Amino acid sequence: MLDFSILTENLDMYLVGFKNTIMSSLIALVASLILGVLVAIMRIAPLKPLNWLGTAYVEIIRNIPLLIITFFFFLGLKLSGIYAGTLALTIYTSSFIAEAIRAGILSVPKGQMEAARSSGLTYGQAMRLVILPQAVKIVIPPLGNQFINLVKNSSILAVVAGLDLMYHGDLISSRTFIVFDVYIFVAAFYLILTIPLSLGVGYLEKRLAKSN
Amino acid sequence: MIVFDQVNKYYGDFHVLKNINLTINKGEVVVVIGPSGSGKSTLLRCINRLETISEGSLSVNGLNVADKKTDINKLRRNIGMVFQHFHLYPHKTVLENIMLAPKKVLGQTDAEAKKIAQKYLEKVGIADKANSFPSQLSGGQQQRVAIARGLAMGPEIMLFDEPTSALDPEMIGEVLDVMKALAHEGMTMVVVTHEMGFAREVADRIVFMDEGKVLEEAIPAEFYANPREERARLFLSRILNH
Repeated sequence: MLDFSILTENLDMYLVGFKNTIMSSLIALVASLILGVLVAIMRIAPLKPLNWLGTAYVEIIRNIPLLIITFFFFLGLKLSGIYAGTLALTIYTSSFIAEAIRAGILSVPKGQMEAARSSGLTYGQAMRLVILPQAVKIVIPPLGNQFINLVKNSSILAVVAGLDLMYHGDLISSRTFIVFDVYIFVAAFYLILTIPLSLGVGYLEKRLAKSN
Repeated sequence: MIVFDQVNKYYGDFHVLKNINLTINKGEVVVVIGPSGSGKSTLLRCINRLETISEGSLSVNGLNVADKKTDINKLRRNIGMVFQHFHLYPHKTVLENIMLAPKKVLGQTDAEAKKIAQKYLEKVGIADKANSFPSQLSGGQQQRVAIARGLAMGPEIMLFDEPTSALDPEMIGEVLDVMKALAHEGMTMVVVTHEMGFAREVADRIVFMDEGKVLEEAIPAEFYANPREERARLFLSRILNH
């Protein structure tokens, strides 16, 4: 049976870690979404150098391990663990978000842009008023997956002493010499974050599908 | 009003439009016919620069379409376009579909745009669908909305790219009726279609294309009774006798 005294006796440590994980995830989520949209637009804008830059960014970032990006900021640029981890998480996730958003924009039929442009709207207006509203619906499910991954990947902070939930789990475990129960509670805390996120995305998806 | 002068277009090695010389006058209804892949749609799409030309010159109302300095958005305001697959905006209601460009491009207020949209919806006979979404309409109704959307900008020219090819046979008539009414009001129209009845009845001139070339230009009565080109004769016999 699970020993709940581990949870109650170390609750303050669990909660500090939990709070830091939420903070780090939230910052990385917003920042990676903004960065991801920018990179996606770079990849599809009618300007070759921008396309090239966006493609290089995505292909390099998403094809190296998150751990190495984290080390780059922690060991290479000597940032503190929590900064290095959050920054790495942001950059890593943004490459996947950029791809999801790009795919969403491209899946809107070409005729929509043609109809909008032929009525005299500019490229920017057509994008904003006609294409993006349709792309959002398509992008919600893959974006939800990325956000769930982001929360779980935030455990990378533990490797660079980033004071997150996983880091505090390690601390408690090394103090009490108990492994199994300690990490079960860590997992439970992650679920508190990811399950509502997952359900929220599902709900949004259903609601948007209705308006079709 | 629309003048093609020695226009050529290539997709890579493929020569889509070959030495096109064609003049379309104000108030004229020109129907472009010909086999698939003959360049009819490409010709049409060059007029509002959905496709760019490779050589020659193309002008609309005296404005050079190919010139980078021409304000293409300004030119396009004046040219309505109706597509084979309607391309209504699925996330907007019928009314919003029609109001979008007049508001954003012409700067009309919500009330003005709404009034004009309703006027054209009545004209195409579906005023009762103003608040529906495109997915709730039949193909014929969607295409009529698309025509109203084009007209709401008050264009001098309307382009139709196979407007009835994606429709159920029963719905073709209602769309053609709207187009006929438009033609009788003196709208300048360029229509790519396979509807021979429409062409015969409404067109001022038939343009027959094959393999990227304009092979024949004639008034309908002349074209149908006695096509000069062998290829046109073959085309007609295939589509009229089956």
